Amino acid sequence: MRPRTVELGLLVLASIITVAAYGLTSLGRAASLPADIGPFLGIVVALLMLGHLLVRFFAPQADGLLLPIAALLNGFGYVMIARLNPDLADSQSAWTFIGLMAFGLTLMVLDDPRRLQPYRYSLALAGVIVLLLPLIPGLGVEINGARIWLHIGPFSIQPGEFAKILLAAFLAGYLVDKRELLMVSNRRLGPLHLPDFKHFGPLLLAWGVALLVMVAQRDLGSSLLFFTLFVVMVYLATSRVAYVLTGIMMFGLGATVAYQLFDHVQRRVEIWIDPFADSKNRGFQIVEAAFALADGGLTGTGLGRGTPGKIPYASTDMIFAAFGEELGLVGATAILIMFLFLITAGFRVATQAVSPFEQLLAGGLTALLGFQAFVIIGGVLRVLPLTGVTLPFVSYGGSSLISNYVILAILVRISQRANAMPRTEPVEVEMVPA
Amino acid sequence: MINRPLRHVLALLMLCFLALFVQLNRIQYFQADSLRQHPDNTRTIQRDFARERGPISTADGEVVAFSAPVDGPLERRRSYPFGDLYAHTVGYLSFNLGAEGVERVYSDDLIGRSSAFQLSNISDMLSGQQPIGEVVLTMRNDLQQVAKEQLGERKGSVVALDPRTGEILAMWSYPSFDPNDLSGLVGTEVNANYQALLNEDGNPLRAKAYRDIFFPGSTFKVVTAAAALASNTVTLTEPTFPNASEYTAPLTTRPLRNFGGSTCGGNLLEILRVSCNTAFAELGAELLGPDRLSLTAQDFGFNLTPPLDLPGVVASRFPTDYGEQLQASSPEVPAGVFENTPLLAQTSIGQNDVSASPLQMALVAAAIANNGDLMVPHVVAEVKDRTGSVVTSVEPERWQRAISSSVALDLRDAMVNVVEAGTAGTAAVAGIEVGAKTGTAQLGTEPPKSHAWMIAFAGPPGRTPEIAIAVLVEGTDGASEQTGGRVAGPIVRAMIETYFQR
Repeated sequence: MRPRTVELGLLVLASIITVAAYGLTSLGRAASLPADIGPFLGIVVALLMLGHLLVRFFAPQADGLLLPIAALLNGFGYVMIARLNPDLADSQSAWTFIGLMAFGLTLMVLDDPRRLQPYRYSLALAGVIVLLLPLIPGLGVEINGARIWLHIGPFSIQPGEFAKILLAAFLAGYLVDKRELLMVSNRRLGPLHLPDFKHFGPLLLAWGVALLVMVAQRDLGSSLLFFTLFVVMVYLATSRVAYVLTGIMMFGLGATVAYQLFDHVQRRVEIWIDPFADSKNRGFQIVEAAFALADGGLTGTGLGRGTPGKIPYASTDMIFAAFGEELGLVGATAILIMFLFLITAGFRVATQAVSPFEQLLAGGLTALLGFQAFVIIGGVLRVLPLTGVTLPFVSYGGSSLISNYVILAILVRISQRANAMPRTEPVEVEMVPA
Repeated sequence: MINRPLRHVLALLMLCFLALFVQLNRIQYFQADSLRQHPDNTRTIQRDFARERGPISTADGEVVAFSAPVDGPLERRRSYPFGDLYAHTVGYLSFNLGAEGVERVYSDDLIGRSSAFQLSNISDMLSGQQPIGEVVLTMRNDLQQVAKEQLGERKGSVVALDPRTGEILAMWSYPSFDPNDLSGLVGTEVNANYQALLNEDGNPLRAKAYRDIFFPGSTFKVVTAAAALASNTVTLTEPTFPNASEYTAPLTTRPLRNFGGSTCGGNLLEILRVSCNTAFAELGAELLGPDRLSLTAQDFGFNLTPPLDLPGVVASRFPTDYGEQLQASSPEVPAGVFENTPLLAQTSIGQNDVSASPLQMALVAAAIANNGDLMVPHVVAEVKDRTGSVVTSVEPERWQRAISSSVALDLRDAMVNVVEAGTAGTAAVAGIEVGAKTGTAQLGTEPPKSHAWMIAFAGPPGRTPEIAIAVLVEGTDGASEQTGGRVAGPIVRAMIETYFQR
């Protein structure tokens, strides 16, 4: 089947599921269908058709799975946000529209991602500047202890969400250049063959950025994600485990020092180890999330029939626990599987990409989505210390939604170019006996 | 070229997600029940808050908790007409704080959700009415009132139960609190009241009767006496302990004295009557030894959590580690000598590390009264539906076999003797056979302060006693062996009189 037909079918399915979930939530809460279910259906279908037409127009041969998975996650997230906080729901629907616009704009402007390659150092500079904007007095705002917000007029923006795309593009460009050098090892350190130390430049930069974010902005989650992005991309470019090990060692060192020096890091770790020790105050989020998940059990309380509003930050950081409560183990697992589908689809785009730059960019951005989902879900489930990052496409938040739709557009664009171009790689021919 | 590392990263991510899946299973399936039961979890209570909820009443028909409709989203609130009288048993139902006591343990019965209702309430189901349960306590309002009046504004506790069934008849601790302060619907007020109670002197939120432990003093001597009778080397009349004013255990030079430096001795009947420290210390340290005493203490429920149907029941303590045996059994010291034999001399008379809840000491008296059978203590008798028919009833059940019947009968005689001719004369009631043991646990000498104790049982002469009682009056001024009798005795007597007036 042609990818657009698949996509259209899946998008219809995603809109049916989203609208059904919206209706069920209302039935669960008030035993009646929401008054606006008709207009809601219209808006969902309109938004998804908009996305479909954008792909059909700008990238007709691209992979047909990416947009429907993102749309379904986005739809689920919206239903939960609307259920938790109707005020946020209105802005989330506006952000979804703007996100799709950004998706279309990226597809339109970025007809060949390789055009970014020559600007790699400018991208890096831009990325770091954007990242540091919240530290400028008067411009940045501290919310919940993290200084990662910009207030411009009525909007608050999290520039870090965009910085990660810029830094991924920089790394892709840089590594395509330097991979040959990075792959040569001319030093030995114990059992490890290490390349020349001067080529550790990008890793050191990554380390610096991660530490800066952790210390100056107190944003542990983004710090972890930046570092993971850098290490993964270096590994994708070089296949060298030595970089990964060095990276982990450096991060471990940084984390240990940060733990010794900073109260907020220590607090996060203490809560992680035993949230019940201070269950009414510092451990409250995690404890309430665990209670919500326990209430959900295997099959959940049913949409609209639980009390996920009791979980602090239920529509942003903790949204996964809200799903675990109302949809149960079954529904929460379905969300995990949706993310695995998204990751697999993204990696397939990376393997099919026509240029090394695009391969790296697609691989890096997909890994970023995957690890971001892991870091926040892991935080909610106490697999990792809780750090405040959004669950891609699901959590409330404009910056996050827009930047993730931009990432999606880049993946769609790379996929389109791969499918549009005749295969240049030699195809293995099976020997068939005559 | 990128495929191989991509596969690795994909594999890593899949491992990460597998970890999430495993943890999700742990939380939502394996730990789900314990998380739902967690004391900090107010979800179940809050979800059920708006549901119709049955009343709680006493065995003699007084309604001690009921739901009254109110305007507002929460629809109804819980009222406790007797104020602080049943707070430590019935507990409270609070939207902010969750639930305590019977309100917590029997919540599913009160809202008609327990399994018994699923089967029996077909009529409610047909009429579309939510079934609700009325929880009937084993407690008697007249006894509970007397316990409160008698203790007055002295810190302490009164526990009375039926030794034959384990039914708690009265359980009062002072200070207590008014659960109406916590069942309100204005969250800020409730939280302020709760904070105030937390900071109040004497910790009124804590049910001393079953959540706190105290030095039992000489009331523990009945356990030592039980171990002695069970050992088959001691009877009520043989052997005779020497008259002494002090006793020095092996391996120590610090003597242990009788109250007021008095001199006492004699057979078991006699030393229990006058509560002779020196004789009981010698009995425990030299005749019984660590194992016998520890085992008997545990058979009475020490070092175990009594299976009372209320949350947060505390285990009483009796030390069991007395170190290596240094000398084998000999004619002089039949029990042998252990590294910590001097400690054993102290624990044999309820001193040092022995601590007991008033509930535990009432259970000791109950086991002796009930021919050695220690029944499961409980505060709820039955659950009824809307029509008044019984849905579930709590049947009497044995918890432990504390001592043999013959040992129990001997001890009953010995304790009756303590009332008739010894330190517990204040507990005597005409026409009723009363057995008791006093206790005075000294807390300090400057000024002299001690816990005054009495444990007792009472019944028609020659029959199995019908009520067992423990009374603790904390930190009473003055310290003499008469204190338990003088201070706690009248409370015991009033409880017995009230019980048999009916």
